[in-house]
Amino acid sequence: MRKSLILIIFFYILALLQTSFLIHFSFSKIVPNLLLITVLILNILEEPRENNGIFGAVASGFFWDIFSDKFIGFHILILAGIAVLIKLILRNYLQPLIRRRF
Amino acid sequence: MILIIIVIAGLLVIFSLNLPFFQKQLKGFFYFISSPIQKTLWRAGDKVSDFFEVIGEIRNLKRENEELKLKNQELVSQIAQLAELKKENEVLRDALGIGLEKEFKLVLAEVVSKDISQDSILINKGSKDGIRKNLPVIGQQKNLIGKIGEVYEKFSRVILISNKESSFDAQIPEKDISGVVEGKGNLQLFLDFVPQEKEIKEGDFIITASLGGIFPKGLLVGEIGKVLRSDVEPFQQAKIKPAFDIRELETVFIITDF
Repeated sequence: MRKSLILIIFFYILALLQTSFLIHFSFSKIVPNLLLITVLILNILEEPRENNGIFGAVASGFFWDIFSDKFIGFHILILAGIAVLIKLILRNYLQPLIRRRF
Repeated sequence: MILIIIVIAGLLVIFSLNLPFFQKQLKGFFYFISSPIQKTLWRAGDKVSDFFEVIGEIRNLKRENEELKLKNQELVSQIAQLAELKKENEVLRDALGIGLEKEFKLVLAEVVSKDISQDSILINKGSKDGIRKNLPVIGQQKNLIGKIGEVYEKFSRVILISNKESSFDAQIPEKDISGVVEGKGNLQLFLDFVPQEKEIKEGDFIITASLGGIFPKGLLVGEIGKVLRSDVEPFQQAKIKPAFDIRELETVFIITDF
């Protein structure tokens, strides 16, 4: 519960940074997307059995939807889909491979 | 756990798709609580980026300064000529009994947040302030910025002219050339449907045309950048440098009557 709350606050702050502070730091008119990058890193680095990454993806998608002109749910589904895909790959393919080697 | 999250996400989608009112309320609430923090972060980002920009641009500043001085002299002489023409125009209008065009009714709004990837910005005026969908939005120099998209109670989303969904008629007044300005996303704008026989060149100014009726006539859109000409195409295209810089945009005006 505490972890979830921290994740929600963390992604809210990231969304605020994305829509205000980061706009000034565009590289050839492209602003790095902190929300997407953080979701990717969180899901790749987290223990494959844990699910905080997926929860983070939903929270991140929600705030991305709030501050964009898309309907609520658009980015939630995309990010949650990416997170689930990463988890599935890590659980089913990479983890058995690592176990076999070591 | 995964299943629960997916179900929640799915429910949210169905909820928001079926209840646009709920969606508006929720977004409006978040904009309301976030706007003070976003403003502070915005100013901080502006200061930090200005600092780094000055360091990076120090070499070009001298050359740019000289160029601007030259351009300034050119513009001063043009202003003098135009003032003369304005006087003549007023005398002629008086003689013919035609009144001057009335100015627009404007509402001032502050920019709360920007979304470059979607080519849209959020402003702090909404339906409570008389803002409606599709109203034109301009900058301080009467340069066109975009039009109102979604309207919330205290906030509105402005669709920039560089948005992929944006397209309107425009003209190059000096050469009497008309075309269609189309947004290509990522702050890119193009002038399209200009016949091959017309000659357009870099630096030509583009203003809105009265055709279409979305925007009032005579608002500055930008200046021509690179011209893309191909013998096989019936029309030529040109890149447009917009008359506004999204990074510098802090206040805008909404034209409520024109």
